[in-house]
Amino acid sequence: MKQQEFKEISGGKPFYMVLGFFGLFVLAALGSAWYMEHNGHWVTGMNNQIVWGMPHVFAVFLIVAASGALNVASISSVFQKTAYKPLARLSGLLAIALLVGGLAVLVLDLGRPDRLIVAMTYYNFKSIFAWNIILYTGFMVVVGIYLWMMMERKMNRFTKVAGFSAFIWRLILTTGTGSIFGFLVARSAYDTAIMAPMFIVMSFSFGLAIFILVLMGLYNWSDRPLGDSILFKLKNLLGVFVGSVLYFVLAYHLTNLYITRDHGVEEFILLNGGIYTSLFWIVQVGLGSLVPLALLYGPSTGQSRGWIGIASLLVIIGGLAQMYVIIIGGQAFPMEMFPGKEVSSAFYDGVVGSYTPSLPEIILGIGGVAIALAATFVGVRVLRFLPSSLADEAVDPHYPAREAEATA
Amino acid sequence: MTQLALVIDLNVCVGCHACVTSCKEWNTSGWAGPMTDQRPYGKDPSGTFFNRVQTFEVGQYPNTETVHFPKSCLHCEEPPCVPVCPTGASYKREEDGIVLVDYDKCIGCKYCSWACPYGAREIDEKQRVMKKCTLCVDRIYDEGLPETERKPACVLACPTNARLFGDVHDPDSNVSVMIREEGGYPLMPEWGTKPANHYLPRRKTRLRIHEDELLRADNPLKKEGQLPAPPGDMPTLDDITSW
Repeated sequence: MKQQEFKEISGGKPFYMVLGFFGLFVLAALGSAWYMEHNGHWVTGMNNQIVWGMPHVFAVFLIVAASGALNVASISSVFQKTAYKPLARLSGLLAIALLVGGLAVLVLDLGRPDRLIVAMTYYNFKSIFAWNIILYTGFMVVVGIYLWMMMERKMNRFTKVAGFSAFIWRLILTTGTGSIFGFLVARSAYDTAIMAPMFIVMSFSFGLAIFILVLMGLYNWSDRPLGDSILFKLKNLLGVFVGSVLYFVLAYHLTNLYITRDHGVEEFILLNGGIYTSLFWIVQVGLGSLVPLALLYGPSTGQSRGWIGIASLLVIIGGLAQMYVIIIGGQAFPMEMFPGKEVSSAFYDGVVGSYTPSLPEIILGIGGVAIALAATFVGVRVLRFLPSSLADEAVDPHYPAREAEATA
Repeated sequence: MTQLALVIDLNVCVGCHACVTSCKEWNTSGWAGPMTDQRPYGKDPSGTFFNRVQTFEVGQYPNTETVHFPKSCLHCEEPPCVPVCPTGASYKREEDGIVLVDYDKCIGCKYCSWACPYGAREIDEKQRVMKKCTLCVDRIYDEGLPETERKPACVLACPTNARLFGDVHDPDSNVSVMIREEGGYPLMPEWGTKPANHYLPRRKTRLRIHEDELLRADNPLKKEGQLPAPPGDMPTLDDITSW
């Protein structure tokens, strides 16, 4: 295996055109945020039953994916898999960029984004939400230091320690994100310890799917060689993660199905919840899990870059659907005010909450994705994040042996 | 420790919404306001209310009844909305147990509304901060008002006196006596939130009357029957008396 050479991507007109393309989405998102702030929250689809809407679906998805995107770096630094080492820098950069994108959406969707300074200066340490503020900002610092250790040759010896810290930090961070839902007693769909580990596994899957697409996109765009060896490693890993998410989803629903008290919410999500049921079965389980699994492990599709890309995209779409079902489906199911009774009243009690995402909310969410992608793009332009080659002979430690085997 | 609260008598609430309108009137123009409305007279009106009267049809036809159920923040003794607030904007007052929101510290993340199992919190869509019943904290201590008026607006407005206000920790207070003697109960006690507000149940008074109580048990006529009619040739009283 040769010594890796890292290089910035080339600038010029095509670079600015791509950046401008992302910029348009960011501008549209800022416009949407301004429109929602100026007019008040009733221009959104949110109401007093569904208080977190589409922006939160994107924000939580991006935050979860951010910690997952760091995994590739963790595999190299913590688990000592040298084949992943050339990808570690991009993994760290993407993790920070996705988190910035997610946090931007989260903050702009707050009732009072202008009071961010209050959120930063007054902490209620009993609140998992306050802990998350610390965990998110800390994550950027820890991963930043980790990147510095990796990229500054003099500091290379600290890479392992920094990588290990970042790995622990990201596990705590996703535990915090999952616990936003896990620590909620008031709504039947949540209040379960499985939320934290499920979010961690979801982060593995979504983060890696985004990483694969970004990697393929960047190497394609900058005309650098990307070998099958590393890509197939990543896609096999993605398959394992997608399967693991399915397992956690299965365990979550089986537990609820066993508990009579939770039959109502299960019936709602699995059988008669309308859009939530369709999203769960068709998009999350079907398109977002089973189809990618078949594509990634299929004898012919698993060897095709196109299909690996499509499978990764499907995992992302399935992930967004999963977030929608968890966040919005869980709120739509009415709170149990009078257990065991059928309740309906003039003020929404006992009624399934209605929510239709408004256009500004969707644009704000997509803007977060654009921020993450633009930040990554600028990052690889100004600093040496990308190896100049990821061809098999450059990354595969067993390449000479394999080559000899193939020619023999 | 004092714990101020409301006790709402479901037996006499007639669902007139006087508490809703008086609450809105007092609070929208005061410290907690504005409680902005969108399309108040149009289709799909929406707005912020601290207190709403829910009306439920209970039972299966033909054995149904209508229950009016006023619901506002229950000022829980263990409020789940308080620990979840990231900035500490949501808090419970030590001195009187009222749960309040500091509007200047609320960042509008709405996480408290996820945590409240009673759905009592509402976001003011214009001010974009979380709001809820304050037990008219700006009124009950106002020494400029006559003492009889230092009560929440909803309590003063209720025409049937279905709403009582007082300290549920004082065993001799009016509200404590009502809870103790009239079967007052908190909403969803199984959550462990210990709501301070209590409800008095619907009470049906029925007289249990045995049939024999309606008949005269010692009616001599019943035992002895009618006296036999005297023979026709007997002298009448007029014949034998000299009045």
